[in-house]
Amino acid sequence: MDPRIRSEFVTLLGAADVIDDPIRTRTYECDGLTSSRVVPELVLLPRTADDVAGCVRICARHRIPFVARGAGTGLSGGALPVARGVVIGLNRLNRVLEVDPDNRRAVLEPGVTNSEITAAAAPYGLYYAPDPSSQQVCTIGGNVAENSGGAHCLKYGFTTNHVLSIEVVLPDGSQVTLGGDSAEQQGPDLRGVFLGSEGTLGIVTAVTVRLLRTPEVMRTLLADFPSVAAGGQVVSDIVAAGIVPAAVEMMDALAIEAAEGATGAGYSLDTPAALVVELDGTVEECEEQFAQVKEICDRHGCTRLHVAGSPEERANIWRGRKAAFAAVGRISPDYIVQDGVVPRTRLAEVLERIEEMGVAAGLRVANVFHAGDGNLHPLVLFSAAEGQTERAEHLSSQIAELCVEMGGSLSGEHGIGTDKACSMPAMFGEDDLAVMDRVRAGFDPDHICNPGKLLPTPRLCGEKPGRYRPHPLEEAGLIERL
Amino acid sequence: MTRAAPTTLRPASAKEVRDAVLDTPGRLAISGAGTARRWAGRPAEPDATIDLSGLSGVITHNPGDMTVSVHAGTPVRELQEQLAEHGQRLALDAARIDRGATVGGLVATADAGPSALVYGGMRDLVIGTTTVLADGTMVRSGGHVIKNVAGYDMAKLMHGSYGTFGPLVEVVLRLHPAPKATACIAIDGPVDAAAGHVQRLMASPLEPIAAEWVSGDPGTLLVRLEGGVDTLPVRTGRLLELLGDGAREIGPEGWARHAALTGGTPGQPDPAQVTVAAGPAGTSATAVAGAGIADPAGSGAADPAAGAVVRIGCAPARLAPLLAGLPATAVTAGLATGVATVTVPGAAVAEVHEAVAAAGGTSVLRDRPDALDAPAWGPAPSALALLKAVKTQLDPEARFAAGRFDPWM
Repeated sequence: MDPRIRSEFVTLLGAADVIDDPIRTRTYECDGLTSSRVVPELVLLPRTADDVAGCVRICARHRIPFVARGAGTGLSGGALPVARGVVIGLNRLNRVLEVDPDNRRAVLEPGVTNSEITAAAAPYGLYYAPDPSSQQVCTIGGNVAENSGGAHCLKYGFTTNHVLSIEVVLPDGSQVTLGGDSAEQQGPDLRGVFLGSEGTLGIVTAVTVRLLRTPEVMRTLLADFPSVAAGGQVVSDIVAAGIVPAAVEMMDALAIEAAEGATGAGYSLDTPAALVVELDGTVEECEEQFAQVKEICDRHGCTRLHVAGSPEERANIWRGRKAAFAAVGRISPDYIVQDGVVPRTRLAEVLERIEEMGVAAGLRVANVFHAGDGNLHPLVLFSAAEGQTERAEHLSSQIAELCVEMGGSLSGEHGIGTDKACSMPAMFGEDDLAVMDRVRAGFDPDHICNPGKLLPTPRLCGEKPGRYRPHPLEEAGLIERL
Repeated sequence: MTRAAPTTLRPASAKEVRDAVLDTPGRLAISGAGTARRWAGRPAEPDATIDLSGLSGVITHNPGDMTVSVHAGTPVRELQEQLAEHGQRLALDAARIDRGATVGGLVATADAGPSALVYGGMRDLVIGTTTVLADGTMVRSGGHVIKNVAGYDMAKLMHGSYGTFGPLVEVVLRLHPAPKATACIAIDGPVDAAAGHVQRLMASPLEPIAAEWVSGDPGTLLVRLEGGVDTLPVRTGRLLELLGDGAREIGPEGWARHAALTGGTPGQPDPAQVTVAAGPAGTSATAVAGAGIADPAGSGAADPAAGAVVRIGCAPARLAPLLAGLPATAVTAGLATGVATVTVPGAAVAEVHEAVAAAGGTSVLRDRPDALDAPAWGPAPSALALLKAVKTQLDPEARFAAGRFDPWM
């Protein structure tokens, strides 16, 4: 980094908040996708929204690529630094600015963790609905960037359904508000475009979220089934009965083995599949639907049905489920978490195909997923020490693209990042991707905001983002566009 | 120079829409059922209109996945009838659905109804779109799954775009189960009393689907509950108890008046005398029926000062005080969502925009007499330059829907 540019950052933030010591910048070399690492030239740690804007303005002036980063829990490389770029860490913007019970909303800085929002709202009988499994550590800024989900999103929706407005620093350093005080909007929903844009359209500096009233009751059951297919059928029948559960989660034998080993949550070790079903609402509705769910479970050969008898038992069931990813480390030296979505009715079919693909690749695949909305999380287990990395990555990509083949999506909540950008053409046509690139160019004409993420990297060196223009070599007839 | 009379093109397939866009030079207007023809800014005279009403019908309905894809010109009313056969629905109850509004039109105008309290608006129900851009590019995003974060959510960009980026040709929607039972509870009173009821209701565990105040003398709060056949009566009883004296269960026709006022036929506000709020010291904001109405036939064309309908959004707790200060002749107010629809004299539209902006809210002109020349929007948002940049990327020659965002762009 040119020392003159570095000194501009130091003037703005103070020397202590501009990190260029190679040992310390290495701390930021990756997010949760640890297989990709790039050490940034500088790490900037602003404390206010104006500081963030100031950092971005310096970047814009010198065309320096920047990557925003929260807790770094992302699993798709969305916060992977860019070589010769800067990382703007947002953890110091971590205040709950306001909880407004009369309007059932909260205003947060981006570094507030997901769990902290509900903790701040709880004294008013309110909570924040989207609940990624990493909610203890992941931040609302990251949730906005990834349009995060979680177990309760089937009924309550995703981050995009709960964010009223965001204050944003655009890639030219200007500060704007997207969205407003109500769901009523003025003109195209730019807030909705920004949500889930994986840090490629700007940096969030404040978020206003809707809060919901804590349900009167929550009933949770854990049910074992003789096969994953039987569990899948239960999910279909619950939905067909007109019941929208707060959550329906499924785990297969490998995932259960890992989760139970790590948490002792009380899962059966000898069952091929287990479902966690949670209903919430008023006492009357919940009791009636809970009886129906139990009957449906019985009808499909449920071998054990355990109803949480206390809030502690309920918490225990969820502790097992939410720890499942990390727990897989107990049964495999290495693993890749995949994240794809299929239409719910194709769950059984896709799980069978994944098993076949795993056998063909000689690798085990554990499954733990949001069955209600078809969001799969196949965990590809492998051993890097035994040279299986490449095979595992290939299998993982194959699974993601299988989801698209089944009429689904490459990602339900983890994002595309750097991890799956190359798979985007499997889901979208060239025109679709080119138009997304034009939208991106509307926000970021100089292509300095988290470049290289989400959309496939320009195929040819020198290609500019935005509308398709022939590359000079194409115009010269020296190369062809494939 | 005299312009030729605009042509109307009525394509019957997505490809024909694309051909129409490519083969027709100049400015293009997009129309569906025409129920929002007067909404937002006044459309500039186009060289041609692309009428999407022929692009109608269900493409794929996956009952097990609770998703449906439809041609954009499909009337929601017709869609609902088909879905009802499977015990499903699109959880949207915007007032103009009864007048034939189409799926594409509802997305483009960011419309929503009372049940947005729980289900959100069209933006929350759309999971995929296909749009034709000015250069003929057909862009698709989303798909048939409700959980999807692959790529930019282009459907959101179309939501509220008023056709600025091009015609929607296909829309994929998420569905919800149709409720087994529905109840409507009413309690009369002015808006401030209703706001108090709604505060208590939202703090209760009763999970209302909608809570809307409808103006009148003195006005009525309507609350909708949905649930099981056996369990709903119990919850209805709890709600009646919570609301107290005067609360009563009424039939679904209670919502018809709400829809009529929200639809807001210009020049025909509520015939009843309207009290928005009893102001302090006898300064009641009571308006007289028919105020400003010079054209009882309803066209409103004769008098630019005739009634106009303005849609308002603000923080819910600010809505009742805001409404009390407006010269409204008819009001429907989502006191838990902060979204209201008010009929005001045409001459008062600018004043309404100012008052709403001062309360931190947003407003847009909806139905109005053709002759009314009033500002369609309040102050421009801080992201206007960004909006223009995106517009330039997607429609560089500004071919689509010119005038809708006047005076912003």
